[in-house]
Amino acid sequence: MREINYRTAVREAMVEEMMRDERVCLMGEEVGHYQGAYKVTEGMLEKFGERRVVDTPIAEFGFAGVGIGAAMVGLRPIVEFMTWNFSAVAFDQILNNAAKLYQMSGGQYRVPVVFRGPNGAARQVAAQHSHSMDPFYVNIPGLHVCAPSTPRDAKGLLKTAIRDDNPVIFLEGETLYAVKGEVPDEGVEELIPFGQARIAQEGTDVTLVAWGRPYHTAMQAAESLAKEGISCEVIDPRTLRPLDHRTVVESVKKTNRCVIVHEHWEHGGTGAQLVDLVQREAFDYLDAPVLRVHNQDVSMPYAVNLENTVLPTVERVVDAVKKTLYVAS
Amino acid sequence: MAKIIGLPKLSPTMDEGTIVKWVKKEGDAIDVDDLLAEVETDKATMEFRSFDKGVLLKILAEEGSALLPDAPVMIIGQKGDDISALIANAGAKPAAKAEAAPAQASAKSKANVAPESESESESESKSESESESESESESESDSAPAAKTAPKSAPAVGAAAQTRSDGRPLASPYVRKVARERGVELANMQGTGPHGRIIKRDLDGLAAPRGKKRSAASKETKVQKLSSMRRTIARRLTESKQTVPHFYLTIDIDADPIWHAREQINRALEVEGEKISVNDLIIKACALSLLKMPEVNASFAGDAIEYHGRVDISVAVAIPDGLVTPVVRDADEKDVREISREVRSLAGRAKEKKLKPEEMSNGTFSISNLGMFDIENFSAVINPPEGAILAVGTVREEPVVKNGLVVPGRRMRMTMSCDHRVVDGATGAKWLQLLRRYLEEPVTMFI
Repeated sequence: MREINYRTAVREAMVEEMMRDERVCLMGEEVGHYQGAYKVTEGMLEKFGERRVVDTPIAEFGFAGVGIGAAMVGLRPIVEFMTWNFSAVAFDQILNNAAKLYQMSGGQYRVPVVFRGPNGAARQVAAQHSHSMDPFYVNIPGLHVCAPSTPRDAKGLLKTAIRDDNPVIFLEGETLYAVKGEVPDEGVEELIPFGQARIAQEGTDVTLVAWGRPYHTAMQAAESLAKEGISCEVIDPRTLRPLDHRTVVESVKKTNRCVIVHEHWEHGGTGAQLVDLVQREAFDYLDAPVLRVHNQDVSMPYAVNLENTVLPTVERVVDAVKKTLYVAS
Repeated sequence: MAKIIGLPKLSPTMDEGTIVKWVKKEGDAIDVDDLLAEVETDKATMEFRSFDKGVLLKILAEEGSALLPDAPVMIIGQKGDDISALIANAGAKPAAKAEAAPAQASAKSKANVAPESESESESESKSESESESESESESESDSAPAAKTAPKSAPAVGAAAQTRSDGRPLASPYVRKVARERGVELANMQGTGPHGRIIKRDLDGLAAPRGKKRSAASKETKVQKLSSMRRTIARRLTESKQTVPHFYLTIDIDADPIWHAREQINRALEVEGEKISVNDLIIKACALSLLKMPEVNASFAGDAIEYHGRVDISVAVAIPDGLVTPVVRDADEKDVREISREVRSLAGRAKEKKLKPEEMSNGTFSISNLGMFDIENFSAVINPPEGAILAVGTVREEPVVKNGLVVPGRRMRMTMSCDHRVVDGATGAKWLQLLRRYLEEPVTMFI
């Protein structure tokens, strides 16, 4: 297998699907002439032309609506948000149109649209541009939510998302775009199904669950803990809705302990949902309360030292794991 | 101005104190004489009250930490005071012989650790039992947990085991499940998790299925650090046995009269719902004997002997972690009912560790009674500076010779340990004659 970065993997998925299906098109701010704010869509305008790669005005509510409308009448649009922070402007389109029209039209209109872009904190973009938007979207029935952490998962899940007949929220990461990893060779097609977690590393003492950027934090923590003789099983759920909690529950039955690492705030979201499912379905297997490591409950500060305090760190994950093992940190 | 408050010396002999419980928490307003915390000293659990007025800004000593007097325990000041310099001053950790559970301590000292989601509600919802039954069937294959080893890292020292008020032992759900499967009682187990929670790594200590040999781990020697009370007991009794020349005198008395006297008194007291014990009568009899023979109510004082005018009788009371000797003051002047009430109150508070040090010091003679354990006879260690101690055995029902006939009777043995520097053999023997008379003719106590 070859190694490519996350950015290229996302682009390959879009290019392959646009070549395979002429109904697939791309729209968003700076996706065309500027080659993408994060160069994810580099070269796509040249390859597919202005009919299929459309630069939009800075008007998220408007172009999200255009994407939904186009999906309703037969296209399979990919709508890029420059970052997921700006999707807040288009929230009503996603909540009340994308997620509802199939039901509200009595099954007459499907909405096969993919909303994608970078999610979570980048570096020092402050309170309004550092949101992890996943808790807002995982709460909505009618949507799928993907949060791949590796290039391979990004490519395989995006291809599945584009072919899915339902609206998909596809959460990438500005600091993930440069992450490299193995991806099947060109010409080898891999579609990764929704609702299937990946066991990134097997272990015996504690189950670590993480997705997106914090997945890499969790992996580093697992590596550091391994040196102390603590064996972590690391699970990446990959899609947050549907959420493959069975894999997590089965793992906890083996390890008896669970720590969940996520970038969104504490109150609500996939982290809290997993705690609920684990305590319900693995109650008799828990040797310690399920712990979470997450963003501190404050708006993101600009200063880098404070930002590092707010985001989950390797040290905090290590501390939480030791707490579930009742060993001194 | 905020200031650091040190641990006060709560008794003259306190060389270490353990914060058992914080009554106030950070942010609470404090007034002069407010109860701040309960502190276990060598004598008892004492109240730590405030000399200051203000706001409790920071607690520096965790519950369970053993501290030297004057060790910083908290910061009091006004709301908004900058206390960072004071905290730095006090040191990141108090000058402690820390025995606090480190897992807990670290969670509290680091604000950025995952939230303490320890509100483990025991209420089991309907949805749980449903999903439980569905998941249970697939789970049996992986339940061979004892074979698995916990990670090698040093275990956190658990705080002292606590049984909850409802008597249910603290145990993780996983441990409960394994205990159910193996048919094991958790009630008497001590866990190493927070608050003594029984956790997976303690499973080695769980009794194996019946008939099997115990695991190697359960045969290991457990090392229990001395509590301040045990340290005091160790020091004082060693000192007594090494420096006081003990000798022992044993008598065997006819216990029928005292037995009947007690029954008669209790019948009379029945309407009032009160009861006295044989031991209460023995206290009274000893007090009267001591009044009559001050030679035994005496202490060795280096180059002199002190003959006490007062008759203050120390009564040994067993409590969970050791024993204490609360004192019945002026026992000669009190009637048996008063003595009985006082002993009950003292013993009750001793078990709750609520006795004040002055209630446990300055006795002139001691009584130790192991009759309730069916001990026939034993000899006790003198409680210095007292000159003697009486060890009382159980009342035995046995055949006795009365007027040339073998009849059913009751006997009781008691052994007096004497400090030979104060009491000689003949003196002690004479005193025991007096005591025998009071006990065998109880009515003489009421002359």
